[in-house]
Amino acid sequence: MTSTTEVTRFSSPRFRMVLGSAIVAGVLSLGACGDFDVLNTNAPTVETLTGAPTRTILARAATGIFSQAFNDIGTEIQFYALYGREGYNLLGNDPRETGEQIRGPADPTGRHSGIWTGPYAAIRTINTYLAALPVASGMSETEVRASQGFAKTLKAWHIHRLAVRTGALGIPLDVDRSINDEPAPFVSFAAAMEAASALMDEAAADLAAGGSAFPFTVAPGFTGFSTPSTFLLFNRALAAKMLVRRATFVNCAACWAQASTAINASFITTAGLPGSLSTGVNYAYSTAAGEPTNPVSEPLTNNRLWVHPSILSGAQLKANGSADDRLTRKVTAAGRTVNLNDLIGTHKPTLYNSAANPALANLGAPIPWINNEELLLLRAEIRWNTGNKAGAIDDLNLVRVNSGGLAPTTLTAASADAAFVTELLYNRLYSLMWAQGTRWIDARRYGRTQQLPQDRTGDTRYENMIVPAGECTARGLEAPCTPL
Amino acid sequence: MRSRVQWRAGIGTLIALLMVPAMLAAQDRRISGRVTRSGTDTPIPFVVVSVVGGAATSQVRSDEDGRFNITAPAGDIRLAARALGYARTEVAVPASSNTVNISMQQDVFNLSEVVVTGQATTIERRSAPTSIAYVSGEDVSKVSSPTVLNALTGKITGVNLQTNSGAPGGGIQMQIRGNTTILGGFDPLYVVDGVIYSNASIPSGRGLANNAASATLEADAVNRIADLNPNDIASIEVLKGAAASSIYGSKASNGVVVITTTRGQAGTPRVNITQRFGMFTPLNLLEERRWTADSAIARFGQNAAPFFDGNSNPYFSQMEQVYGQRDLSYETIADLSGGTNTTRYFISASTKRDEGIERNTGAGRQSLRVNVDQDLGEKFDLRVSSVYARNENDRGWNNNCNNYGCHGYAIAYIPSFINFDRRNADGTFIAPTIGVQSNPLQLTELGVNHEETNRFTGGATVGWDAWTTESQSLRLVAGGGLDVFNQSNDVWSPNDLFFEVPVALPGESIESGGRSRFFNWNVNGVHTWNPGSWSASTSFGLQYEDRRLNTFQIRTQNLLPGQRNVNQGTNITAAEALNEERTLALYGQEEFRLFDDRLLLQAGLRAERSSVNGDIDKYFIFPKIAGSYRFLDLLGEGSEIKLRLAYGETGNQPLFGQKFTTLGTPQLGGQQGVTVGTAAGFDNVQPERLKEIEGGIDGNAMNGKLTWEFTLFDRNTTNLLLSRVPAPSSGFNTQVFNGGKLKNQGLEIGLGYTPIQTSDLQWVSRATYTKYTNEVVDLAGLPAFFPTASGFGNLGRTRIEVGKPITQLVGFPLNEDGTRGRTLEQLGNTNPDFRAGFVNDITYKRLAFNVVFDWQQGGSVINLTRYLQDDARTSEDWGTPEGIARYRGYTSGSIEPYIEDATFIKLREINLALDVPQRFIGSIMRAGVETMRISLSGRNLWMLTDYSGLDPEVANFGAAAIRNNLDIGAYPPSRSFFFNITLGF
Repeated sequence: MTSTTEVTRFSSPRFRMVLGSAIVAGVLSLGACGDFDVLNTNAPTVETLTGAPTRTILARAATGIFSQAFNDIGTEIQFYALYGREGYNLLGNDPRETGEQIRGPADPTGRHSGIWTGPYAAIRTINTYLAALPVASGMSETEVRASQGFAKTLKAWHIHRLAVRTGALGIPLDVDRSINDEPAPFVSFAAAMEAASALMDEAAADLAAGGSAFPFTVAPGFTGFSTPSTFLLFNRALAAKMLVRRATFVNCAACWAQASTAINASFITTAGLPGSLSTGVNYAYSTAAGEPTNPVSEPLTNNRLWVHPSILSGAQLKANGSADDRLTRKVTAAGRTVNLNDLIGTHKPTLYNSAANPALANLGAPIPWINNEELLLLRAEIRWNTGNKAGAIDDLNLVRVNSGGLAPTTLTAASADAAFVTELLYNRLYSLMWAQGTRWIDARRYGRTQQLPQDRTGDTRYENMIVPAGECTARGLEAPCTPL
Repeated sequence: MRSRVQWRAGIGTLIALLMVPAMLAAQDRRISGRVTRSGTDTPIPFVVVSVVGGAATSQVRSDEDGRFNITAPAGDIRLAARALGYARTEVAVPASSNTVNISMQQDVFNLSEVVVTGQATTIERRSAPTSIAYVSGEDVSKVSSPTVLNALTGKITGVNLQTNSGAPGGGIQMQIRGNTTILGGFDPLYVVDGVIYSNASIPSGRGLANNAASATLEADAVNRIADLNPNDIASIEVLKGAAASSIYGSKASNGVVVITTTRGQAGTPRVNITQRFGMFTPLNLLEERRWTADSAIARFGQNAAPFFDGNSNPYFSQMEQVYGQRDLSYETIADLSGGTNTTRYFISASTKRDEGIERNTGAGRQSLRVNVDQDLGEKFDLRVSSVYARNENDRGWNNNCNNYGCHGYAIAYIPSFINFDRRNADGTFIAPTIGVQSNPLQLTELGVNHEETNRFTGGATVGWDAWTTESQSLRLVAGGGLDVFNQSNDVWSPNDLFFEVPVALPGESIESGGRSRFFNWNVNGVHTWNPGSWSASTSFGLQYEDRRLNTFQIRTQNLLPGQRNVNQGTNITAAEALNEERTLALYGQEEFRLFDDRLLLQAGLRAERSSVNGDIDKYFIFPKIAGSYRFLDLLGEGSEIKLRLAYGETGNQPLFGQKFTTLGTPQLGGQQGVTVGTAAGFDNVQPERLKEIEGGIDGNAMNGKLTWEFTLFDRNTTNLLLSRVPAPSSGFNTQVFNGGKLKNQGLEIGLGYTPIQTSDLQWVSRATYTKYTNEVVDLAGLPAFFPTASGFGNLGRTRIEVGKPITQLVGFPLNEDGTRGRTLEQLGNTNPDFRAGFVNDITYKRLAFNVVFDWQQGGSVINLTRYLQDDARTSEDWGTPEGIARYRGYTSGSIEPYIEDATFIKLREINLALDVPQRFIGSIMRAGVETMRISLSGRNLWMLTDYSGLDPEVANFGAAAIRNNLDIGAYPPSRSFFFNITLGF
């Protein structure tokens, strides 16, 4: 068939067989093609929590849960400050800051959505964590209880924050469902707050059975509250705060007594004043690489955040004629006047600035989450409403004297409720300003939003934040919507 | 031992039995002859001559003198001759004759070229039931080009090629038959010698160093097709429609580009050496506003006054200063090919350097290719291809930025009375006092934006003619290959650059790049059955593909002065991403040829699973069916009209990661935590599916002087990858899902005409026309949205909206009274009305002349370069009625006056070549040189456009799913001139 030996060699049956088998073998060896379950190595996936979670990864999830509690605090402080006229944002780079947010009407796609998506994202993480705890490897029964107590405390707090944010419009509560399911139905303000309180109590029971240590690193800012039994004090403090808000927001008469029980189980103390006023839990920031930094601390030269003029003019005077120490401690004159669209700024909030030089920002300054000063004010409110009016005035005076350097109040147990509330809200504003939107929330609790300052005719004093547009469109509703 | 011998003997017997029919078919008749070019006595070497209807293995090749000897059966037979560049020719050989001369016509329209129809099957274009564009290697290598794709412009139908900027070294995108995706992959699949070839665009850190809004997208990245040496290419086939490309399944909805490199031919070793010298010069530069002392002081204050001392009208062409590099560019190519009947090789080496027009920019590439074909006996053949390439470029500082560290901004904001080249006595630049804190000339001298890529691509194919009889054959083919590259980018923005001085963290160094590894293998069987009047071909096989890309980046700010190592700064951030995808596919295909090859029917099915799908075990099915019928001699002897119709489905795989819900990793208290991320993955994510029907009428008449190809197509992409916003109370912000529908419809026309064809003079003229339109039919309930990199705010953006083109540009319109409209409206469409190309090749004796025109009609381009100049009051036409009219848009917030028509006509290529006669070669070169060709060539020499910017062919965001013709200080377009000399040994 052929003449050259070379070709004969290649044409030999043996050669053909060898080559043929080589091809088949080659293909079969290649046939061990790679595993099709290609994992994402760029970031952990949710399966690390939902699959076979380990003690180690759940400890990191706990860190994540702490971190998500920090996420939107800066937004919340600024927004609630604007809504409650604790101050203004006069940077001028976004017309919404003197327009939509002060003038109104509220834009469903506005930046207030962040105070909705943030807590719900945190709740998603907590729910995933709670589902993982019972099936996790390497954790004892008490550690699981301690972890549940921690997670439920923060979940209850997020639900409560959401409920307060949106008020009478209600919120979706049953959100522990697949993303492919129908969106969770809205429940009323009262139902949401009640659910949050119930969860807080569940958390307390878990913490009580949680042994002596958490199986994870507790976030900085929890110094003194980093074991299940001390974390329980923090849980009770938040529980009392939530109950007081329920009592006032949705007229829960039974809540006062429960709040009284809760606050007595918290870390409230009258010992060591005034130093012990700041005892409590903080959102702790740090300037170390990669750590979250204080979102509202800024140098005096910055034009962003300004204290509302009414806070300057409204401060009570000390015996020596100078202003409430809380004002001088927390506010600094900028040395210039900023007028943006007829809103005026002369003083800046410097409570988070460098103690040595309030003109300088301190990005590592903590923001109080809840502390003894707030607890004393809460107890005053509880006592007034549970018949111990003298005790209420005692508590108010502890704060006035120790924090404000003021004389004791002239109120007596015989004073009218309205007068007590006015004095209570004064002290709450100066003790808690620029930390949690207290002025707006308190005005709402006592039906006083329309008494908030109005610097321009036609400005809006909001009763609540609206439901974000995404929540409406996902339900087929036109934004703004009231799904309840 | 004994049993093994028996087994071996048994196999031998079996194979011997299988071969009996082939042996019986062999006869003793020998036919000899010679092949020549039609109308001349010029021999054609390496023509493949075979007996029509005979076994494939019986074919022979003509020698260098065109002579051949073939074994043929007794009786009347027909011989077929095939050669690159010539029309397939058949001649009858009566039983009485044993000699024959074959005269072949040049196949100027490539109708006889074979194009792929499957992993191991091909078909002549003449019979193909779908429109497959074909470009020969000669057409892409004639005129020096930055990348293979640049050399295709104007030459094929159905595609839209767009350079992203004028920067040296590439950066060009090809879109085949429109937009078929919004979120998915948008690039055609490139297959080089059977190896899947990465065309990734990995951005440098230029955008980061310049604080660009979309830093990675705006870095003017090179797509890696630039690593391929155009001079190595034998042919390029573009599989446009779904019926053609469905052989590549769910990677093929954007089309497939099949590239074949040159292979050796049997014969004495031949060496070709080509040397090119040339230069790049600007095609277009902008003039700037001319200032008087009064206008300058009014605008810039008294600081401007000294610039007018002694010169009342100082004017410096700042673009000439920055884009004033005119260095010598060169390219050297050497190839060696040859071989015996059983071993053939092609070896080529090349090195080139293109010097850009911006100072200290340029691009270079070196490559070494070795292709070897080895016949192993009569039954086995082995083809090995391998190439190493090194590619580097310095692309300068262009496109969008936010710190005036890019030339477009700096030139816009620094008035024309400033001379960039003002220096102190020590050679450093004088600090700017007018306009912005930047000096582009300083940046070109001190800044670094360098990229280097090293790449190896290699593959092998083994074919086994396992069984051959007179009427049947079975061929098994196994192949595979590997494509790996390492790209590294080095960006340095040193501390002493004027724009770095005032920032908080001065000085920035970025090391970034990527490692890519693709490999694929396949095994195929092809059974053909040819009983006589009809034939059937069955093919089946298995394919595996594995693609992996790892990108990384280290960014350092606040550098120690003078230092560029990423360790020498205080603020260091790092990033890494690994994408990996694996696909396994099974396919089967059946092809029937009936009525003497006039009717062709094809049907195929491909089933594949991929690791990126939500269900990794599920096989997705991609079918195709196609048919064509050729009417012979309807328009005169030898004419042909072909009707064809095809339907096919292909897919577009989900992107890596779309099925995963990743965890956020926030840091707190010194350790990283995990949180559920806000982007929900879709655990059932599926490929997008393209369904396309195409039909056409092709033909040729007038003895092959006239040829045409008309194609209409209608394609719908369903199951689109989209992103929806779930209820935020779910804890998620976005979720990928499948749904919606896009439609693309189009018309493609290819015409060829040979007005003159004599032995001395030949003139071949070709024209291409492509028109397609698109529409968003359904978004599965999603409201209109802006995709990523859709533009800047209200400065003209692409908006995805039901009932509108996917390529629409929206903005606020400008009212008659100079105010802007209140709602966003469609103001333009980046999709052109049509693209057309004209190619003319004229050969007179030893002179050859080629010219390629490229015409884009319509489409819109957003001129943000002009917007910046208006913002800075530096536009050339400032104060003229035109300038004032446009400026009303600027002041009112309407982008309408800045959205311009993108129509252009460009002279893409021109080439004049002379084959130096043998007698002159002898007198000027020493012995050994057999051929010598000298030529003058140019690319992009001329442009006709009404666009007021530099070049309407521009894309700030680079390669993207949706064409975004955004001009914001892009690298200016350049023309190139080359003198070329090719010597053959």
